[in-house]
This record gives sequence, C-alpha cells and structure tokens, in this order.
Amino acid sequence: MYKVAKLALTDFKIIFRDSSLKSFLFLPVILFVLIIWVVPNLVEKYDFLLPYLPLFLVVAVIENTQMFCFISSMVLIDEKETDVAKIYGVVPLSNVQFIVSRFLLPYFFTVGLNIVLFLVQPFYALDIGTVLIISFLAALVVPAYVLGINAIVENRLQGMVYIKAFNMLVLVPVAAFFVPDNIKHLFGIFPTHWIFQSVVAATQGLSIAWFSTIGFLFFTALIWGVSKLFIRVHFV
Amino acid sequence: MILVENLVFQYPKTDAPTLKGLDFNIAKGEVFGFLGPSGAGKSTALKVLYKVYGKYDGAVLIDGKNLAEWDNSYFEKIGVGFELPNHYLKLTGKENLDLFATFYKNGQHRDVNALFELVDLKDAINKPVENYSKGMKMRLNFIRAIQHNPDILFLDEPTTGLDPVNAHKIKELILKLKGEGKTIFITTHSMETADDICDRVSFIVDGKLQATDSPKNLKKEYGREAVNVELNNGHVQEFPLGNLGENDAFLDFIRQDGVKRIHTQEATLEEVFIRVTGKSLKS
Repeated sequence: MYKVAKLALTDFKIIFRDSSLKSFLFLPVILFVLIIWVVPNLVEKYDFLLPYLPLFLVVAVIENTQMFCFISSMVLIDEKETDVAKIYGVVPLSNVQFIVSRFLLPYFFTVGLNIVLFLVQPFYALDIGTVLIISFLAALVVPAYVLGINAIVENRLQGMVYIKAFNMLVLVPVAAFFVPDNIKHLFGIFPTHWIFQSVVAATQGLSIAWFSTIGFLFFTALIWGVSKLFIRVHFV
Repeated sequence: MILVENLVFQYPKTDAPTLKGLDFNIAKGEVFGFLGPSGAGKSTALKVLYKVYGKYDGAVLIDGKNLAEWDNSYFEKIGVGFELPNHYLKLTGKENLDLFATFYKNGQHRDVNALFELVDLKDAINKPVENYSKGMKMRLNFIRAIQHNPDILFLDEPTTGLDPVNAHKIKELILKLKGEGKTIFITTHSMETADDICDRVSFIVDGKLQATDSPKNLKKEYGREAVNVELNNGHVQEFPLGNLGENDAFLDFIRQDGVKRIHTQEATLEEVFIRVTGKSLKS
C-alpha cells in the first residue's frame, strides 16, 4: 500500500511543479461558475433553454472528468517520452499496483468533484445514492481515457492530437438527445452514453439502475482491455 | 548464476530474429560483457534478461530457475542501469531515488547521501534533475540501479556520456561491486571499458556470438608476441618476444643507434574484434 500511495503522491508533486499541468487544476472552478451562475441566468433569460438543462448538467459531469484525463495523460506520456516508464518494468511493482497507484487519486478526486457538482447545481434535487452511483460511474472515464491514449501515442505531440479527438468522442453521445427514442441507444457503443442516460434519467426521477449497470460493465471491460494494451507498450 | 542456452528472440512484425541462438553463462561475482556495434542485439539480450521481453525461444536460467518462473521477487534481485538517462525531470535527484527505493522490500541499502557522494553528486542531491548535465544524469542512473543492493546488475553502456574522470570512477565502482560478489552483465561498444573491467567478453554481431573469452586471452590469441623497434635513424624492425635478451639480431639492431620507440605487438581488443567478426565496433 505504501508503494501505491508514494507513487500516487509523486504524481501530484509532478503536477504541481509543472506549470502547464497545474493550470488545468482550475478547470473545475470554471465549470462550477458556469453551472452555479451562468447557466441559471441564461435559462432565466432564455426560456427555450429549459428543456436542455439535463444536457448542461451531463456535459458538466463529463467535463469534470476531463481535468484528470488531460493531466494524467500528459504525466504518463511524459514518463514514456523520457523513458522513465522503462524503470517501472524492472522494479518489484505489479502492473495492477502500477495502474491503481496512477489512478487512485485522480479517480477519487473526480468522484468528489462530481459529488460536489451534483450538490451545488441549482436545478435538480437528487438523492445521495443516485449522486454517488453517477459520480463513481462518470469518474471511470479517467482511467479508460488515459490508458487508451497512452496505449496509442508515443510522444506529447501525438498526445495533444489524440486528446483533442478523445475530448470530442466523450461528448458524441450528446447527439442521442436529438434523435428519435427508438434509435438513441445506438450511441451506446460510446461508453459515456450510459453516463449521459443515467444523468438524464435521474433528472427525470426515473431509475438509473439499468443504465448505470450497463455503464459500469462497459467501463470495466473497456478499462480491462485498454490496460492490457497499455501494459504491452508502456514499459518497453 | 546466469545460464543462457540457444536464446532466440524476434521482434513482432520483423522478418528475422534479432538474437539468433545465444549461448553463454555468467558466474557469481563475474563481470561479463557483451561487446558489439550498435544494432548487434546487445540491448535486446539485456531486455530479455530483465524480463521486459517475455516471448523468446531457448532457455534462460537465473540461479538455476527458469526466468519465466520468477515472479516479481526477481526484480528485488536485479538492478538495471539504462543506456540513456531516464528520470523525472521535475523531481530532485534525491526524490527520484527515494521514489524507486520504496518499491523494494529493503528500500535503500545505503544512506542516500552516501550514494550521491559515491558518484560526486552530493552538491546536486536536492536540485531538480532537469538542471543536471547528461553525465550527472547517467551517474544518477547508476546509483539508482545499485541503491537496493541487488545481486545481479545489468548495465547498458555504463560509461556512455561520461567524461574520462567519471567513466573511470564508474569503472572503479563496478569493480568494487564485483569485489562484493555481485554478478555484473554489461553491454558496451567501448573496447576500453570492456578491457578494463570485464572478466570475460562476448563479441556479438548481428545477433550471434562470435567469440567468448577473457580480454587477455583474446588479445593473446589474436595478437603477435613480438616487439616493434624504431631507431633514431629511422630503421624499424620486429623481433619475437621469446628470449629477446638473447636474440643477437635484436641486440645488434639496437646497438646501431639510439632506440626511439619500442612496442609490444599485442592486439587491442578492438583489433581482435575486427579480426574475429570482420566488423568495426564503430559501425
């Protein structure tokens, strides 16, 4: 456990010493300002935006995950580019310990951010169970995204390109809200679709059991798969 | 300690294997070197031995146990010095060492200050590694590899990027570790390094071992036991080393004029390498 904690804390040390990464820690502040003040004012001024409130909320939930998606991706890409990753291939640290240590803090930090987001958003009164389930589900975007990016890219430049692409991919399921109900689950091939559907169901007072279960299973399988790819390339 | 039999390794999506049936063994307390030009397969062989590449043909035994059967405890036993510096640049030298020490059961075997002092880095211990020169980073690589007191050391080009003084220091430290009973496997394209510290060397070219022996034996086998004499008058002649003091031709020759130079004709390790493999170490 000490190994895992030490590595997790080292990541934070690196983030705070890198001005380009440190600045991303303020991303959630901007989101919170938008959700607490800007969106309510917009909705009050423009009635036609009212039906889109769940969309604002779901996009905020996903964007909350993007801070650590970017930061952790860059930390691992940098580690690969400087060959530090090779050291982890020759120390007594298992692959599982390595992955857990790299995502422990980003995951729970993101869960925390989303819990706070649900508590401070002024639009819906959601029960705490629902808030927790959605927050834990949404934060799974972080390991899936970061491991996926790092299984593909070899340097910072490639990383920036793929991060742009992944940023768009996670939001593609927004389109499901603009298509007929009978085909909206075609967007289910995108894992974030199940987060979107869970949030919307919650805002309508409906059960999120099915959507969140599919979401957890999808993300678990996805993280398992991308972990395999990541392990194959990261330490070599 | 290390036994390798018919080791064959091929990278995915390549037509031919990089390692084509290597056979060698390294005894406990021995410094063994792979000497070869870039691309010969030296680093690939090392990567197989420190378990980065798991899919290979042939047998690799460490302490009599198949390499594939070793679990994570294998990494407690080995230390790896990489060819190029690899550190977290935003962390200090000490933070880098401390981080990797936490992964080992025994942590740091020596006091971290003593480790930095060992390679003349004490003044830089609390400086971010991004402010280190390449030579300083290489020395940090070295102390990271030995900090947990491993039984086996794999050192990839340990003197590359170092000035002569620090290269000498690292070679001295390697010999000191050998004196402590450590088994050390180095790869190098520096025949000087191999000659200075290796008990035995293997010449590796195109993934095959061409010769394995001590540098002394190789030089003796491929060199000439003779002296080359040059006089002040410009005359040059070669004489066999055996019974040189009783060789009348030699004695008559050196009485002709003052001796300007006199050299034994022992081959350098590089010359032996070229003769054995037909290739240059610099290629």
